[in-house]
Amino acid sequence: MMPEIVIDKEKCTTPFECKKCLQICPQAVFMVLPTGMHTFRENEPEEYKLLAVFRDKCVFCNDCVEVCPVGAIQVKIILGGGE
Amino acid sequence: MGDIMLELDERYGEGSFWYLNPKNYCRPMYKKPKEEREEYGIGMAGLEETAIEGMKSIIDTKDEDPEGFKSEMEGLSATMIEMAPGQVIPLEDAKKVVDIAQPLVKIDCICRRMTRATLEEEDCRSCLGIGLGMFRWEMVPERYKGGAEFISPEEAKKFLEFWNKKGMVHTIMTFGKTIEGAPYIGGVCNCDYPDCIDIRFRNDYGIKSLMKGEYVAKVDYDKCSGCGTCVKRCQFGAIKKEVTTNKANIDMFSCFGCGLCKETCPESAIELVERNSFPALRDEW
Ligand code: SF4
Ligand code: SF4
Ligand code: SF4
Ligand code: SF4
Ligand code: SF4
Repeated sequence: MMPEIVIDKEKCTTPFECKKCLQICPQAVFMVLPTGMHTFRENEPEEYKLLAVFRDKCVFCNDCVEVCPVGAIQVKIILGGGE
Repeated sequence: MGDIMLELDERYGEGSFWYLNPKNYCRPMYKKPKEEREEYGIGMAGLEETAIEGMKSIIDTKDEDPEGFKSEMEGLSATMIEMAPGQVIPLEDAKKVVDIAQPLVKIDCICRRMTRATLEEEDCRSCLGIGLGMFRWEMVPERYKGGAEFISPEEAKKFLEFWNKKGMVHTIMTFGKTIEGAPYIGGVCNCDYPDCIDIRFRNDYGIKSLMKGEYVAKVDYDKCSGCGTCVKRCQFGAIKKEVTTNKANIDMFSCFGCGLCKETCPESAIELVERNSFPALRDEW
């Protein structure tokens, strides 16, 4: 059963600063990655992307959906994980 | 995989473990011509980009396609093994490493930054960067976001002990290869599950970007009092308390040889024995 975890990038603009879903997920499904690397300066808060990398470990507890202050996450169950 | 480790020790260890040979730290890397150095990427640059690309392609895989997800994971694992195999090492060996390789730099843990979006406080940075590549890190502040602190070998040993007490597994991390083909050793990490990506990949997906250590733990049943302290320390699910005998039982096939159990045993009942001395475990990496 592979879940579909949809993250709305328009709503989730600064995931590294917010980090609520990253820290609440019991299965540590999410990762936040820099979208680039610059010489002599750190990334701006907007230059990160939230990804549900380990989504096969999701147990559909819905904690991430509930904790998100801007409603950016949807977790959908795909029964049977089929086509 | 057994071959990889035997080859590492035989070809690059010069009679010892590969990570205890000072030649595998940095210097050979700097003998490379500039273009090649850039191709391999000193420090993390190349690795980060590849890893990020890998992660993105995992995510782009059709969500309803578990097979695609699996093959993407396998693809990423091949890249990780090629570019950066790491290995679990016990505290004693980690302390030897900081004596032979410098400079030593306390930095923020990159895995935890990516998996839990943590920024570590000055007094608890948990990653130790090693080697001349660290000077180049300063060019790209994003890598050491949160700061970098150059420390002495003695300070590094205290730092390793501190994290060992907290229950972190020490690992040798490599980034690219030296000119002789040995992995370029760039750090001693203090890791745990699930926020360390390497342990996560290994435990959950069987990806061997993190290899088992050169030792395995063995319990002396005469000394063990069955207190159970060691059980809580194992990140790899290798120990349980055997109810019938009231002794700790370690599955030596599952053991990664980190020695965390040994460090904490009040009866000194656990010993780290060289993996190679057990014929059945020699190929277990
Ligand atoms: S539903 Fe629960 S397990 Fe799944 S990603 Fe969200 S918080 Fe994690
Ligand atoms: S909780 Fe919502 S806004 Fe915050 S990082 Fe997660 S998805 Fe983005
Ligand atoms: S390997 Fe360990 S210490 Fe190093 S960045 Fe990853 S979790 Fe942190
Ligand atoms: S900590 Fe030592 S004495 Fe206690 S159960 Fe483990 S091996 Fe036995
Ligand atoms: S049994 Fe001990 S040495 Fe082996 S992996 Fe577990 S804690 Fe580490």
